Amino acid sequence: MQQRSDTFLDNASAALKNPGQAQRLDMIALFAPLLRTAAIAGFADFDRLRHHVKQVRQHSLDHLEYYLGQFEQEAVHNGNHVHFARDGDELNSIVLDICQQHNARRIAKGKSMVTEETSLNSFLQRAGLNVMETDLGEYIIQQAGETPSHIVGPALHKSAGEIRELFQQKHDLGPRDLPETSDLVGEARQVLREHFLKAEVGIIGANALIAENGYSMLVTNEGNGDLCANLPRVLIVCTTIDRVLPRAQDATAMLRLLVRSATGQSQTCYTSFYSGPRRDGDSDGPLETHFVLLDNQRSDILAGDYREILECIRCGACLNHCPIYTAVGGHAYGWVYQGPMGSVLTPLLTSLEQSHQLPNACTGCGRCAEVCPADIPLPDLLRDLRHEETRKKLAAPRWRYGLQLHAWLARHPPLYHRLTGAIIPLLHLLGRKRGSFSRLPFAGGWTSQRDFPAPQEKTFMQLYQARMRPRDEH
Amino acid sequence: MSTSARSEIFAKLRAAGRGASAETIARECQALGSAPAPTPPAPELCEAFLFNVLKNQGSVDCVSNRAEAVKAIGHYLYTHFRSHRLVAGNDPRLAAMPWRDAGVLPRFGSLEEGEPVALSFARLGVAETGAVVTWTGKANPAANNLLPEHHIVLVDRTDLVPTLEQAWDRINQELEKAGRPRGINFIAGPSSTADIEGQLVYGAHGPRRWHVILLGNIPPHALELARTTNSARA
Repeated sequence: MQQRSDTFLDNASAALKNPGQAQRLDMIALFAPLLRTAAIAGFADFDRLRHHVKQVRQHSLDHLEYYLGQFEQEAVHNGNHVHFARDGDELNSIVLDICQQHNARRIAKGKSMVTEETSLNSFLQRAGLNVMETDLGEYIIQQAGETPSHIVGPALHKSAGEIRELFQQKHDLGPRDLPETSDLVGEARQVLREHFLKAEVGIIGANALIAENGYSMLVTNEGNGDLCANLPRVLIVCTTIDRVLPRAQDATAMLRLLVRSATGQSQTCYTSFYSGPRRDGDSDGPLETHFVLLDNQRSDILAGDYREILECIRCGACLNHCPIYTAVGGHAYGWVYQGPMGSVLTPLLTSLEQSHQLPNACTGCGRCAEVCPADIPLPDLLRDLRHEETRKKLAAPRWRYGLQLHAWLARHPPLYHRLTGAIIPLLHLLGRKRGSFSRLPFAGGWTSQRDFPAPQEKTFMQLYQARMRPRDEH
Repeated sequence: MSTSARSEIFAKLRAAGRGASAETIARECQALGSAPAPTPPAPELCEAFLFNVLKNQGSVDCVSNRAEAVKAIGHYLYTHFRSHRLVAGNDPRLAAMPWRDAGVLPRFGSLEEGEPVALSFARLGVAETGAVVTWTGKANPAANNLLPEHHIVLVDRTDLVPTLEQAWDRINQELEKAGRPRGINFIAGPSSTADIEGQLVYGAHGPRRWHVILLGNIPPHALELARTTNSARA
């Protein structure tokens, strides 16, 4: 996917001026946390579950070489072809090779953020293949020529009206009104059903790979991924090497966290485990199955200071709870992954140079860490990336010098106290009448949206010292 | 290309890993234990399962024997389709049902275009999530789960398990005995989507309706209690 993270600030400003989208984001910010909270309240000991799965994930990553090897062995034993791809280009060419070997023309694709990461669709389309996304959200944005705005609900930025117009324009089905959301879903069902039945190759992602038995786990509500996995004669599962878990029960333990955090359900409508091609005596299923396992920086992340981000299970809870995401939306982040997890992952998977504004898209409120089912210290990782940004001198000089000045002052408390002790009473005096400032030097950006409250007469330290002094005498 | 990619990736993982022996890893894995499960909505297994099926927007029937099961299926088909036809996989348990007694006309095989109802006999029911478990193969072709308008699933009372962990214990025993099936499918509701403005719509790609029939020795008030608790919590 073409990256536009370097213009995050402009993207965000533009998004804030789109009132329809802001309203839809408000709905996400309101309802998604309610659904999650209700689901977790119904679980006896969610924290213990979170702790358990965290240990399982750490154990799997500690021994990833072993478990990935075990998975490969079991998957081959189950009759799969297993491929490894160092980067997106390698994954794309492996997939294209398989499609070409089978003279495939039509591809039915389930939702996969990994293939968004590698721009698989456009690669296959350039080679003349007809690739159709079958998850409703992915289908909508594919038809609109857009990118996902949310890892779980890729088209949540679009209104039903926009989708109606899009379908009327793209589907050659004669004049029709499509007044209800269910009419839109029904039309997509009809159009996509035909594609499913004709496709020669199905491509899906995986929420987990199970080392002990070589199955992959696929979690969906629509059932589109299962149609991709069962109807075409070739199946390709594209995922990353860090998805391996030791045992089947670990995958369903992780599922308990994932589904509650993503949609508030206890299990999605379809949770499927696929092991390979059709067995002797089977009347259906693919004749040939492939796993394409992508690294794309994961092995480097594993060896570095940010390895905890590999424990992310892609539930989207940190997006739904982030004050920045729910204000500016997913497109502002300019790549596949959005919100707090995206702001950590994007610099690591692409480069900090291209995306150093993302770790700054954080108020430090800590809500993401609070709700993260994988217990990833997202604010800490974002802070470390900002630190790296400063060290690499990527931020604007004005910002860096400002921070340096602040750091120097903070290390000289007497000077700091004397300076603030002079400025605060002055601000108090100047703002006494109005109680606030509508403009301030060096803070134009801040005051362009809101007033700065005038401080009280004395600084905290002055008040504190005044209060402590008489007590000392007792 | 693939071979060198593989060795390069594995070399990097080796360098990043702790280099423990298979025995140590197995011991550590064993020590991780099992995950905690959620509190069941009812202490009694049938009631808990039925509660969660209803919560997943399934409809439910409880029957005590196969004759009643066939009658319930006939009633369902007549109510919704004014028909007595359905498609079912080549499952010996389904072939042995007294279909004629209720005038139901099953066709055994994979669902074809224009056939609106399929019947599956679940391998398991999971009370924790209100899911039924089927696996792919002649006994239940994938199309029968995914392509009908209505999916009817029979679950034997003796195949109910409380949690996902216990479901795996049962599945793993089966895998040991009969090998690994191509697909193991947990189904917990009719196909749904909330991709348009977060509004929940049923019948996204798969069945619009999902009907579960629990068969066997079921406590007399289990369904009633499950319904009452469900509407109270909704």
